[in-house]
Amino acid sequence: MTTINREATPQGDDIKGPNQLHNDLHDIWGNPRGLKALTIVNHTALGLRFMVTGMVFFLIGGLLAMLVRTQLALPDQDFMSPDIYNQVTTMHGTVMMFLFAIPMLEGLAIYMIPKMIGARDLVCPRLTSLGYWCYLFGGIILSFSLVLEMAPDSGWFMYTPLSSSEYSPGLGSDFWLLGITFVEISALSAGVELVVSILRTRTQGMALHKMPLFAWYILAMALMIVVGFPPLILGSVLLELERAAGMPFFEVAGGGDPILWQHLFWLFGHPEVYIIFLPAAGIVSTLIPVFAGRPIVGYGWAVFAIIVTGFISFGLWVHHMFTIGIPQLAQAFFSAASMLVAVPTAIQVFVWLATLWLGKPKMKLPMLWIMGFLIIFVCGGLTGVMLALVPFNWQVHDTHFVVAHMHYVLVGGMFFPLIAGLYYWLPLFSGRMPSETLGKWGFWLTFLGFNGTFLIMHWTGLLGMPRRVYSYETGMGWDIFNLLSSMSSFIMSAGIAMVLLDFALHFRFGKPAKHNPWNADTLEWANSMPPSAYNFVSLPKIETRHPLWDNPDLPRTMAEGQHSLAVATHGRREMWGTDPLTGKVREIIHLPGNSWWPLFAAMALAVVCISLLTRLYPLAGIAVVIAGLFLLRWSWENGAHPKAAPDAEVAPGDPPLHSRTMDGPGLWAMSITLLANGSFFLSYLFGWFYLWTVSPEWRMPETSPLSLVGLILAGVALTAGVVILEKRVRGLRQGKDTGLAIGMYCISALGFVQVAITLWVLLSADLAVTETSHDAIIMVGLAYALLHGGLGAVLTLLQGLRVGYGFVGAHAPFEPAVVAQWWRYNLVTFWILVGALAVLPRVIGS
Amino acid sequence: MSMTMQRLHLTHPLHFVIGLTLWCIWFVAVYGGHAVACSVAPPAPEQGVFTLVNAMLLVVSIAAIALLAALTVSCCRMAKRHEGRLRFNATVSAGLYLFSTLGVVFAAMPIMGIPPCL
Repeated sequence: MTTINREATPQGDDIKGPNQLHNDLHDIWGNPRGLKALTIVNHTALGLRFMVTGMVFFLIGGLLAMLVRTQLALPDQDFMSPDIYNQVTTMHGTVMMFLFAIPMLEGLAIYMIPKMIGARDLVCPRLTSLGYWCYLFGGIILSFSLVLEMAPDSGWFMYTPLSSSEYSPGLGSDFWLLGITFVEISALSAGVELVVSILRTRTQGMALHKMPLFAWYILAMALMIVVGFPPLILGSVLLELERAAGMPFFEVAGGGDPILWQHLFWLFGHPEVYIIFLPAAGIVSTLIPVFAGRPIVGYGWAVFAIIVTGFISFGLWVHHMFTIGIPQLAQAFFSAASMLVAVPTAIQVFVWLATLWLGKPKMKLPMLWIMGFLIIFVCGGLTGVMLALVPFNWQVHDTHFVVAHMHYVLVGGMFFPLIAGLYYWLPLFSGRMPSETLGKWGFWLTFLGFNGTFLIMHWTGLLGMPRRVYSYETGMGWDIFNLLSSMSSFIMSAGIAMVLLDFALHFRFGKPAKHNPWNADTLEWANSMPPSAYNFVSLPKIETRHPLWDNPDLPRTMAEGQHSLAVATHGRREMWGTDPLTGKVREIIHLPGNSWWPLFAAMALAVVCISLLTRLYPLAGIAVVIAGLFLLRWSWENGAHPKAAPDAEVAPGDPPLHSRTMDGPGLWAMSITLLANGSFFLSYLFGWFYLWTVSPEWRMPETSPLSLVGLILAGVALTAGVVILEKRVRGLRQGKDTGLAIGMYCISALGFVQVAITLWVLLSADLAVTETSHDAIIMVGLAYALLHGGLGAVLTLLQGLRVGYGFVGAHAPFEPAVVAQWWRYNLVTFWILVGALAVLPRVIGS
Repeated sequence: MSMTMQRLHLTHPLHFVIGLTLWCIWFVAVYGGHAVACSVAPPAPEQGVFTLVNAMLLVVSIAAIALLAALTVSCCRMAKRHEGRLRFNATVSAGLYLFSTLGVVFAAMPIMGIPPCL
């Protein structure tokens, strides 16, 4: 990439001309070509890769949908066998939800967020790259099951016991469980870095209340991913352990409960709907003010609605389970919560309508899709309120009415705004305008085809047609409705094909776009079109919510380098690290350059995934170790490492480099990662207490199999490690690093002692993990403690080595503070585990 | 009272999430508490809604409502004292506390009309 120049950041008279600055910045930030393109970590390139890959999976999912509608077009069809039909419907839902909707919106956020908040990249570029490769490899593995005719066939929510080994003995469920977990690494990594980027890398002066609404929506979405995905990851781990190793988590005879899967799935699954909806609503809130030509009405109301939606959506999961025999009072709680979530959604709709009412809307192509969204999504929301009513829900449960509602919400709430957004930002992507004619044809065919398919499907459902049936007899009264639905679905497909054709053709034949063609107010339009790899030559100070409306000259002055950080002679990829509340500059964040490590780590993880699928466990173990080594090697190239920022010099008046402070973005990234980890841990505790309380055949021994003394000794070692580490971190804050390396080695040794004792407790407990869910879930809990203890010990050992190499010390004190967060988390969760698994059973018994 | 309000830093954006976090905790407490109570000591169906379970759930709900309502009022007062960013934060927080309060009221109403464990 670059050589490091030890010259300090020049200012004032040293500022170079725009072209020279561009060339210098391009040397540092530019993307390589050829094979080295695989090393790119830049958010613009990776955001585009996410979106293009997402569209490919969308085509696969759409093709599967067409197969389903062809099968259901007429009664008694044998176009597909029941087996294949089940695989096709399962994969349609899975591909659309996991491989299209979320990655596509994440890709858009990855592409857009740094540009909107005045940053040059996301805060963890290598994590973006790892996320992309995990998504790509996981998606390929999952899709390959279709080619092998081994695809999952238990429905996209994989209910047990249908998905358990007894009723799904092939590899289909394993493809789903392992593939989806692999893809979720991608979702979580994007979630973590989007949160940290939005909170810590906004340009100078962009306080929270001046942030673009799109960033608020993405912040909420990213936090929801961080909290919402781990329950499904836990569920997938448990179900795969049940299928592969016979641990009976969901099997009643072994003390498990299949309903636990439903809880874990929908704890993820319902927030997932809003994870998809919120960024799409962010697109709507961005576009409507631009085309109405006025600021949004009720910015504060919109922020309020975003936050409420993010929280309340976690309190609705049981409304997917109203028919499983939950007490009426509990159902009433969830029914009420399901109605509550309509309030913030309605607030947003009124905010949009008020903005249109008070502005002078221009009905350009993107607005057409926004109007389609408003109509379809409001209808989907209303049927959602109907489904929140328990008696009605019972009547239409598992019918096509639910399928129709779901598509109104997801296609109306996500797909229509997405296409609006793509049309809106197309000139930014390519520098060219789309075709209005093709676009309008595409919209009307899609809109009419969609309503013809799914409005009619409400009636098919009300007439009693169950979902997931591969065929039906004539004379049920469903024939004509199914035929109309199927015909309309092909009209919709034609519309979507036109839109995609328009997208493809515009790169070659589109008219060149003028700068900021829609007269937008947000900073992404201050980029060149298409954007450069570093986004902005200089980073401006922002005073308002509408920087380009209030200062139309801003793009020019930014491009001329008249604002901050318009230097490149140091050879670092730099941007501001700002205060999350006020937007005041705190430090200069230096970012890593292109790297092979994310690709290598993802490839090793792909080997793990395939080895587990093929039951080659030794190979899986080796691949885990290799993946771990790649990730640790990646972490080695940080801070004061020669490939990162060995030279900490900055110009007088500039803030320090983040790696020379105690408050860099890594601390925030670790905190958000631990939030996800905490969600996983709470889901585990929920599983333990749920089975203990509810499972009909739960068997708990009279005396706990775990040695309390052993666990307390392990906890003491861990506690001692945390105490010493905290003392060392306090010392670094005061600039003291004497004996730091030895200290780190001692702390690491304490970590290994904790691991050794915990391992002894586990082995001496003689657990019958394949016979009772009690023992199996204890095993998972102790494995969790072992993993965390072991990783903490290894990370601290590496810190000791890094002190020796001079990468860590009083001059670069940052990293031990990050590792200390891990140890603190480990300490809290370990003692909670001791309490839950070893103390509580002794106190209150079974 | 004013000392308490100062200590709570009601103009900090952390209050954007505290109210709804309290709502979530209340929600999990009543749902989980109801499930545990039904598992350990289910009341006789003929008792209707006049059971210890309903009473306990109601007490927890009233406590949550009182806490959230107090925070709503405090945030409203704090919003009037500031301008700009701090006023924005306190106003949005007040709205979120109010929503959380009403959310508890609305979702707790069935406790007064539906017997537990059936």
